[in-house]
Amino acid sequence: MQPFELIVSVACPGELSGTDLSPYDAVCLGTPYCRRVEGNYAEDVDLLAGAVSRIHDMGRKAYVATPATPREADLPHVSLLVDAAAAAGADALEIHNMGVLRILREKGKPVPAHMGAYANVYTHLAAGVMRDAGAVRVRPNAEVTLEEMGTIAREGRVEVELLVHGKIPLGVADRCFLLTEPEETDPKCPKACREEHWLASRDWVLKTVGKGVLSGRDMCMLEHLPRLVQDGFRVFRLEGLYETEGYRSEVGAVYREALTRAFAGGEYRLEGRWGDVVRRHAPKGLCNGYYFGTAGRKYVGSVLQDGNSGV
Amino acid sequence: MEMVRTAFEHGADAVYVGAKGWSRRRAQYEMDDPQIVEAARYARSIGKILRVAFNTLPASAEVPLFLSRTDALHAEGVRDFILTDPGLMMALKNRHPDTILHASVGCTIINVQDALFYKEAGASQIVAECRMGTDTMRKIRREAGVGLEVLVHATTCFTLLGRCTMSSYTKHDHRVDAAGKDHFPGSPNRGGLCYRVCLTEWDQVGAEGEVEAAGVTLPNPAFFLVDDIPGLIDLGVDTIKIQGREYSVALVGEMVRFYRELIDACVRDRASFRIDPWKVRMAGIVAERDAERREKTAGLIGESLGR
Repeated sequence: MQPFELIVSVACPGELSGTDLSPYDAVCLGTPYCRRVEGNYAEDVDLLAGAVSRIHDMGRKAYVATPATPREADLPHVSLLVDAAAAAGADALEIHNMGVLRILREKGKPVPAHMGAYANVYTHLAAGVMRDAGAVRVRPNAEVTLEEMGTIAREGRVEVELLVHGKIPLGVADRCFLLTEPEETDPKCPKACREEHWLASRDWVLKTVGKGVLSGRDMCMLEHLPRLVQDGFRVFRLEGLYETEGYRSEVGAVYREALTRAFAGGEYRLEGRWGDVVRRHAPKGLCNGYYFGTAGRKYVGSVLQDGNSGV
Repeated sequence: MEMVRTAFEHGADAVYVGAKGWSRRRAQYEMDDPQIVEAARYARSIGKILRVAFNTLPASAEVPLFLSRTDALHAEGVRDFILTDPGLMMALKNRHPDTILHASVGCTIINVQDALFYKEAGASQIVAECRMGTDTMRKIRREAGVGLEVLVHATTCFTLLGRCTMSSYTKHDHRVDAAGKDHFPGSPNRGGLCYRVCLTEWDQVGAEGEVEAAGVTLPNPAFFLVDDIPGLIDLGVDTIKIQGREYSVALVGEMVRFYRELIDACVRDRASFRIDPWKVRMAGIVAERDAERREKTAGLIGESLGR
């Protein structure tokens, strides 16, 4: 059994083929933010069988994302997506919406559920309700601290997934911030969210991906991996959505090496080249979210924040 | 308590109050237990309902506090609660089957399956997400077997309400009260205080640092569904709700009286009811409300910057 699992998210075939998957144990296919993203695995169900098969052939697990905010009109598609993921042999569905979880349960739980970042898991009691509905894993809301996550895992009796690196999900909308016309007619759709757009005010920076608001800074837990190991966490996500192939490939390689070292025990030392890679891919700086009870944009630690303060 | 009395006196059938430390507002807009008990007794004495909001998302370690606090209120005759966390809902319903639970707007209920999920968790009524269309409302009424509550006077965040942590990304603290409850200042989901950073002026910046648009905000408009009220009544919604806790007592009274009279007029003579005359009166309330809101937003953004 692998001592840990490192997951990367990719939205579409272009991202999958361009990413070096060797650092990862699992791939989450599709973006939960917008159904109109080109080639979105969560939308184009015909792509799923091939992608899942390819990932399995590489000895990795394949998870499938579902829409984070499905309106009533989206539910027939969600039903098709659940069936397609099951038929493709996906290892789990990532679910953010309680209605989607209920659809999965009503279908007899053909695929295990992993509750995603927007499922608002804050307590072990909520995790327990979701577990009873078919969830085997939860990713608590970004605001939940490491200490609370330990309680959720222990008392909710579910596996807990942690974001270890990448943009923190801060909000999801069902209108696109980057468009001025309706999405069906605006010529900027679906290209606008593939470009890089930031929102800057005072010393705050956010990243907008149209229907999602992400942190400007990159969550970075490299320095704290031994703590995560000690606390019993073993499932980690590197957020690859709306990032480059180089980001997913190079940062993934850093975490594969760092996690392997952290799980081996003994002295844990950060390599300078790790810091170089994560800094190069984080133009707005690093943070470690809410894990230590601070505001999400803060960095708690003594190593990697240097040179990033004030960004 | 003054606001509770005012709301009832001006025509509200039910009033929601926040339990201190546990509702989606900061402590100054919440009540401690003796105040809640007093308000509940007053509501019962006039044949009306007081509902108590425990609709934040707490820490697991705070669950025992939630249970002891709701036990105490239940012992005093309080039966009506509004919650967000499905785990807390189920725990409270199992502990006190005679409680009446509503699923808060923080649950972000956007489809019929969502409504059914929260019904199974113990809710007998759900608050519709602020942009829910009438087709979905109708379907929930028809298929979900739960009551439907619609906010007609509130704000719509750019993100879905209940699924946003922008405020706490910029500033987040911990303030634990004497009972041991963390108020999580900065997190609207956990403690109720939102710094409304979406409404500050942002520069939209491209990959090379070029400013694509200056001074943009993430839209968070106040809305007034006055036009929709006749349709909502026809549709059979169970509760028409006005968001009011952060406004002045006088404005809350004015808003409640306006909606009470509008609803009564509509129900009394639906065939000849016309909305246009009401809009003139509404305009005055909107101006007053927007002035209060602008002032509060500026204060909150300043607070998030430590000013």
